[in-house]
Amino acid sequence: MQKIKKMINNMNLQKVRFIIQLFSFILFVYGGYFAIDLGSKLPIFACPYNGEAAGACYLIPLQHQLSMPAQILLGGAGIAVITGLLGFLFWFIFLNKAWCGYVCPFGTLQDWLTYLRKRMGIRYSTYSQNQFDKLSKIKYIFLVIVILFPLLMGVGLLGGEWSAAFCQMCPARIISPALSGDFSQWTIDFSSKTAMVLTALGMLFAGLFFAGSFVKKRFFCFFCPMSALHYIFSKFSIVQLRKEGSKCTRCGDCYAVCDMQIKDIADNVTDVNILRDDCILCLKCVAACPEDDALHFDILKFRAFSSTKEGFEKRMGIGRPKGIDDEH
Amino acid sequence: MMNTEMHHKIETPKEKQNRHKAMETVKVLHALKEAKNPITTMEYFYQRFEDVYCHQKSLHDDKLKVGTMCIQIPSEIIYALDAVPIRLCNGFYTDDEIGSDLLPQKACPLVKATVGHFASGNFSDKPHFVYSPTTCDQKTKAGATIEGFGYEVIDVDFPRVKESEISREYFRRSIREFTLDLEKKTGKRLTKKKLRETISKIGYAQGLYHKLCAYRKEKDVPISGNDMFLVTNAFFFDRIDSWIHAVEELLEECEKRKENHVSINARVSPRIVYTGSPPIFPNYKIPMLIEQSDAVIVADETCSSNRMFNDRVAVDEWFVNDMLDSMADKYLKACTCPIFTKNDDRIRRIIDLVKTYSADGVVYQAFAGCTVYELEQRSVLEAMEKAGIPILYLESDYSPSQGGQLSTRVEAFIESLKMKKRKQGK
Repeated sequence: MQKIKKMINNMNLQKVRFIIQLFSFILFVYGGYFAIDLGSKLPIFACPYNGEAAGACYLIPLQHQLSMPAQILLGGAGIAVITGLLGFLFWFIFLNKAWCGYVCPFGTLQDWLTYLRKRMGIRYSTYSQNQFDKLSKIKYIFLVIVILFPLLMGVGLLGGEWSAAFCQMCPARIISPALSGDFSQWTIDFSSKTAMVLTALGMLFAGLFFAGSFVKKRFFCFFCPMSALHYIFSKFSIVQLRKEGSKCTRCGDCYAVCDMQIKDIADNVTDVNILRDDCILCLKCVAACPEDDALHFDILKFRAFSSTKEGFEKRMGIGRPKGIDDEH
Repeated sequence: MMNTEMHHKIETPKEKQNRHKAMETVKVLHALKEAKNPITTMEYFYQRFEDVYCHQKSLHDDKLKVGTMCIQIPSEIIYALDAVPIRLCNGFYTDDEIGSDLLPQKACPLVKATVGHFASGNFSDKPHFVYSPTTCDQKTKAGATIEGFGYEVIDVDFPRVKESEISREYFRRSIREFTLDLEKKTGKRLTKKKLRETISKIGYAQGLYHKLCAYRKEKDVPISGNDMFLVTNAFFFDRIDSWIHAVEELLEECEKRKENHVSINARVSPRIVYTGSPPIFPNYKIPMLIEQSDAVIVADETCSSNRMFNDRVAVDEWFVNDMLDSMADKYLKACTCPIFTKNDDRIRRIIDLVKTYSADGVVYQAFAGCTVYELEQRSVLEAMEKAGIPILYLESDYSPSQGGQLSTRVEAFIESLKMKKRKQGK
């Protein structure tokens, strides 16, 4: 038991994560070829516009259900909304935001763009604190669009062209099908003014997605309404990211490796639950923490992955330097 | 004729200084060697200090020597540019006396001794130039005084608020400026490969220190606090490869001692966490008093020891600027120096050390004149009281004459801890 624990704490997280991501990417982009269907309540951007996806993003049924006429929604359809949400929660409870860091194909795609940039020897960009604070709110605006616009349709304030308004803007709608060779989404819909604006925004966001993710790690996740939705339910999950403030020296190692630039991970020493709304639960912070047990990833009360001095040294490539014995 | 000339030769000030420093050195080393259950592999360190301070032996003849005035100058960068960092914080009473003529009477003895050392110009390894981070007032101002003796002193901007985002950005820029300046001076370029190597090397040295500390958590402590101070102080000036080699051997011996239950403490010896103004060789006055009174220092929170090794550098993408930024953060954000506006981190660290090293009490020492440690004393004492941790506050300086009064207080404190321990034992 002790041995297994040590092995896990010493693991090369980067490698493990890469393999899991690759596997999930294949599953959620090409799973359809293997006739896999995991339903339409998935807490990730597995876009059903891509016919080969092995499941679908929950935001689609959510928008459809909420856009039903008010009377129906308050009647029988309300149950559908609740069961839909339960379906979403069912998936979510197991992995929490690790869906973002390990499973979401759209997240993985961004990580691959990051690898590409790294290979080219270009340094990543960051936001200033000021920009961060402002931009961080955008995902909630998108979440409001996901929830509010369909409701407005239901009461008749918005017309049918607003159907799945977020999807029309979402870059995943444009990019995901292209991954299985379908470029039909790369257009602007001129059928109505609204559709034109929304799909044009979608094209713009898709362009920004590539440019942004190339220079900024996990560029899109920062604006993702799914991430905002996750955060609302994150406390109910069986997996948690926890911190023991008394062991933290605020050295900032976790912050230095954080793709999402979450400052609290280093600076906050009072909260035990250190998961923040931008977190993608990639666990790079735990892997980069040099203090024993200061950060840990828990499944229920069990510490599945803990920061350790030994693990830190292994992952940072700290070994006995050459030439030590030459002196003697 | 020759003979009489020899006898009547008048000692130069430099010779006198060397003789006095040698005396201070021998006195401390002798006391350390006399301690209970001495460690054989410590001989390397005793010899190192004797070589440097009794025989003025140079350790870095061939290298460019970069003087540093505080721990905030990243040695990783200096090593990566093929130079050697030499930390110039000084613990000699002899130099303190020289410095006393140059600085206000109430100035900190550490700063006085450092300035005195520069004034004498008497170095076994003379720095080619000196980087001085703007930490406490006295060190900040000392830079200008030292410059007056004909040294090149480069100020490195260091913020005094560490919580703010501005300070993070400020020090990151400051470290980049420092790197550029050092690149110019060495005529070398800082490469990705070289910097990564030296980060890893310092990381390895830090790891050895952490391993050494792990032994101090044991019930039978194999190594004394004073020996530990000597090991960490040697890092100020030693050749890093030899230091690493010596500590590896020390670790092996500690492991053997652990197996055979050889310890320097008795079960009833109170375990002490030491904090405050840094003990720098040969000013081990207070640590010696503590361990001679049958207590054992199991951990410390000082910039001459624990703080140098505690925090590590992590980097996500190993580009030069990422490494520099991460280093800047480490040297600023994790630093528990009392110069900062608020300092809850230091209090948290002390409490954590008391817990993890099962200590019975804390000794907090401030140099008379070390304003920041004197100022912070109250808040630390309050916090310890709240946490139910016994603490003794002492004020001391470098003079050898103060012993009696201090030893009474230290002994009384340790005796009270012992009584408590005995009671709890029953």
